[in-house]
Amino acid sequence: MPYLFVAPNMFIFITFIIWPAIRGFQISFYDSIDGRNFTPVGTGNYRAIFGDPTIAEVAKNTATYVVFYVIISTLLSIAFALIVNEQKFAKGFFRAILFLPVMLSPIVVGLIWNDVLDRKVGPLNALLQAAGGGSPGWLVEPKLGMIAVIFVGVWVHLGFYSIILLAGLQGIDRSLLEAAAMDGATRFQIIRTIILPLLKPTTLVILILATIHGFQSFDFIYTLTGGGPLGATTLIVQYIYDRAFQTPIQYGLGSAAGVILFMIIFAFTALNFLLGRKREAI
Amino acid sequence: MSKLQERASANKWSSLSGKKPPSVGTVLRTTFLLAMTFVILAPVLWFVLSSFKDATDLGARPPKILPTRWAFENYTEAFQMYNYTRYFMNSVFVTSVATVLTLLINSMAAYAFAKYNFRGRDGLFVMTLAMIMIPLQVILIPIYLVVSSLGLVNTYWGMIIPAAATPTGVFIIRQYMLTIPDELIEAARIDGAGEFRIFARIVLPLCRPALAVVAIFSILWRWNDFLWPLLIAQKEELYTLPVALALLNGQLVVPYNIVLAMSVMSIIPVLFMFVFMQRQIVQGIAQTGIK
Repeated sequence: MPYLFVAPNMFIFITFIIWPAIRGFQISFYDSIDGRNFTPVGTGNYRAIFGDPTIAEVAKNTATYVVFYVIISTLLSIAFALIVNEQKFAKGFFRAILFLPVMLSPIVVGLIWNDVLDRKVGPLNALLQAAGGGSPGWLVEPKLGMIAVIFVGVWVHLGFYSIILLAGLQGIDRSLLEAAAMDGATRFQIIRTIILPLLKPTTLVILILATIHGFQSFDFIYTLTGGGPLGATTLIVQYIYDRAFQTPIQYGLGSAAGVILFMIIFAFTALNFLLGRKREAI
Repeated sequence: MSKLQERASANKWSSLSGKKPPSVGTVLRTTFLLAMTFVILAPVLWFVLSSFKDATDLGARPPKILPTRWAFENYTEAFQMYNYTRYFMNSVFVTSVATVLTLLINSMAAYAFAKYNFRGRDGLFVMTLAMIMIPLQVILIPIYLVVSSLGLVNTYWGMIIPAAATPTGVFIIRQYMLTIPDELIEAARIDGAGEFRIFARIVLPLCRPALAVVAIFSILWRWNDFLWPLLIAQKEELYTLPVALALLNGQLVVPYNIVLAMSVMSIIPVLFMFVFMQRQIVQGIAQTGIK
């Protein structure tokens, strides 16, 4: 009987996750442009990934995006969580606002910022010009494109991380903070010496989650920059997607990139699990 | 967390700052949070206002905050001249059928993991959780090849079934089911109730809070999902809203003001959920770290 209960779920896992994962690993050693005929190439795809200048560009973009995205998201979400947590006036309102972008479809988020950051008719450049600044081509110049993508990535996810950190803050024993305050510790000292150290496990979770999310980013970039300008915001997931749907179609190369992405995400997810178990044990 | 606890924890910090109203800290904090509110709300409001502008206003330099003429036709044309109704109904259909399916199969699996002892149970449970480690993005190409070899490309089932078995859903419901006393199930068995009947009539109704959380997340995921339907729905009549918006945006035949109107309409259902179910959503995230 219990097998009947788990069967539908397991059937889907096996057909649509485990089997494709195994196939993906296989295909990564082949070359195919139609998904039917496969030519074995050994480790050729992997060697190409580490040698090809186009892929080196994608790797550089992804690394830049992930590093800045993770650092900025983590620092800002800690700051926002601390500030919202201390707020007395309209706390619920601010928390809701902070969380709003998390609910929006990433596709719409991309469209929103595409509208706001438009070089000629966007409100941001209108504000800048009114203040005597120039009108930077946010979505036209490669460097600015990357900055825009990092900013919007943070804008979307900040509320999500802050909510987890807020839950962590609520878990801190109140008497500790009161005792410190009674001993004459300043608010800043309390934050630095008590709250931040106690928040370390939660912060670690945020770091790991943000890294995983960073590597998976795709949706909002699709409508924000489409991977441009000049491929400057093409990250690894878009690269994999393009190998299946844009010429040149290279299923093998895309699968190999998928295997590498898997190893990165696997490592961070496993780390999250292990740390989670350790936290429970304490 | 109960209301009382939450209120107590909310007060945890405020009591430290004493009662002197309004301190420098409060003013700084509130200013900071108001700035944050501006950075989050202003782009969204700008976008909504843009959706009421006609082509001339959209190209105006410097841009106008309010439309010179409220172009409500952006909205009516989305229905009359473009297929908005179709995309919307596709999204509603995929979201609702997938959510019902997810609730059913996830709770069945959760029940087996929580209330039965069987060979391979722990192994299968670990395997279920391990599925989190293989996100769609890394198996994009092979899963597309598998799905197309099964003939599921350009079908509703292709959009619905593959993502219906969620590891997180199984986990949340299982944890909740562990709190249901075994005696209840034993008693029903002695009374002669069949196994599936016990599950459907006794266990499921007791799990309502957990099912609600999974339902909310499933709806959010499915409504906003892009990558998966993008792979499957290659015919225009199957586009869900995100796919339609992303692809129409790139086409010159569809005016930008129509895309704006469609986008604004597409976020309304989610905003409703946000307003009415914020508490459950926030708690679900805080407890499980899922997204």
